[in-house]
Amino acid sequence: MKKMWLIGVNTFRESIRKKTLYIILIFALIVIGASKLFSFLTAEEELKMIKDVSFSAIEFFGALIAIFASLAAISTEIERRTIYTLLTKPIRRSDFVIGKFFGVSMIIFVNFILATAFFIGLLIFKKSPPNMDVFKTLLLIFFELILIGGITLALGTFTSDAFNIICSFFLYIVGHLTSYGKQLIERTENIIVKGLADMLYTLVPNYENFNIRDKIVVGLNVSWGYVGYTIAYGILYMCVALFIALYFFEKREI
Amino acid sequence: MAIIETKQLTKHYILGKKKVVVGLENVDLEINQGEIFGILGPNGSGKTTCLKLLLGILFPTSGEANIMGKPPYDIEMKQHVGFLPENPYYYDYLNGPELLRFYASLYSMDSDKADKRIEELLELVELKDAKRLALRHYSKGMLERIGLAASLINDPEILILDEPTTGLDPIGCRDTRNLLLRLKEQGKTILLSSHFLSEVERVCDRIAIFHRGHLLATGTLDGLNKQYQAENLEDLFVKTICAFDTEFAAKTGERK
Repeated sequence: MKKMWLIGVNTFRESIRKKTLYIILIFALIVIGASKLFSFLTAEEELKMIKDVSFSAIEFFGALIAIFASLAAISTEIERRTIYTLLTKPIRRSDFVIGKFFGVSMIIFVNFILATAFFIGLLIFKKSPPNMDVFKTLLLIFFELILIGGITLALGTFTSDAFNIICSFFLYIVGHLTSYGKQLIERTENIIVKGLADMLYTLVPNYENFNIRDKIVVGLNVSWGYVGYTIAYGILYMCVALFIALYFFEKREI
Repeated sequence: MAIIETKQLTKHYILGKKKVVVGLENVDLEINQGEIFGILGPNGSGKTTCLKLLLGILFPTSGEANIMGKPPYDIEMKQHVGFLPENPYYYDYLNGPELLRFYASLYSMDSDKADKRIEELLELVELKDAKRLALRHYSKGMLERIGLAASLINDPEILILDEPTTGLDPIGCRDTRNLLLRLKEQGKTILLSSHFLSEVERVCDRIAIFHRGHLLATGTLDGLNKQYQAENLEDLFVKTICAFDTEFAAKTGERK
């Protein structure tokens, strides 16, 4: 456990010294800040706009950070061959994978907290302190980001940098469209297409489950039950991704 | 007594459906405690493959590799081994002491002992003045030296070095050579692979010559020179390689 932690801390330390992630974070803060520019709207509409844009920015730029940080954690370490010096130390391959996951989670957490603090500061400045619904939305975004990180990390154990980045973005986009896709496919009568669509729906992580911002922004209620269920779904999916990562990495020749 | 041992160690790389490349073929090696053993061979001869198999970075197709009687994935064994890869790359955004401290922590060294060891090693590889410099600003030679320090952080009983003098200037090469001889005096076992015949000639007690994944010859330099009627290591190297290539061409010709 200690070695996993050490690898995680080293991953985090390396990452916070790189400028790439800061640039993404700064972009996120700029977009969140820019949402305040809609001052020509009524106060209520402006607040909705701030929330909508900020949730989207935290999610989108957070996803970029999760993908790039996870990519650097395993794929880049293999491609740059720094991994040789690690795997020849008294650590297990599983220590390496789980340690990297800890590190990536720390990076996602810190960036998420900074962007969220800025957003909450903006809400307070607008004299509309965040309510529980805002926290529910943010909580689900955080778990979505951790899941994106976990999946990119898992892909890194058996794919190249280039393939991983394409796959991760593909899953990110498709993962937000699966619900719409399923609705469309349900109208088809072709059994093969239906079967394939069902398989895709089961395999691809449904990131749209984590998206409650549209409801929250317009004032609809989302129960804690739904939040809890979605977090459990995220954790289960993440465990499967990590299990796959461990399986492939144990067998991988470097 | 053999502290590093391979038995019929074989590694085949499968490229595509039908193409198989021989990385290593039935290699039997025994490296004794306290000796400096050099692996020689042209590019692609299987030197690095052999080291990677010993360290568990690659998995053998057949045969086995042991260090201190333990398989390559054994964690306890790795506690006593240091490794310097060829053209080492490290974490760009760390500086030398941070890198060494990170590696020391993976060997579960306590903080005071690690700090003392880091100071000693930075002095040894003459990187004390570059303490604050991030590794991304290091020259190739500096990276090689910090890599050597990293491989020694745990004061290993066995040191495995892949091309340890690549990128070093003549003074750096001499210092590394002297360091290896000092480590040998301390009872360490050193396994190194190299292209530099003169370096190997000066430090190694025994050598092995690899070519096309096959172990062609192994023994002391004097013994091998007598056996192959060679004048020096270069002559021995060329003779063994050419003899194998001739035999190999004849065999593949027969197969055709």
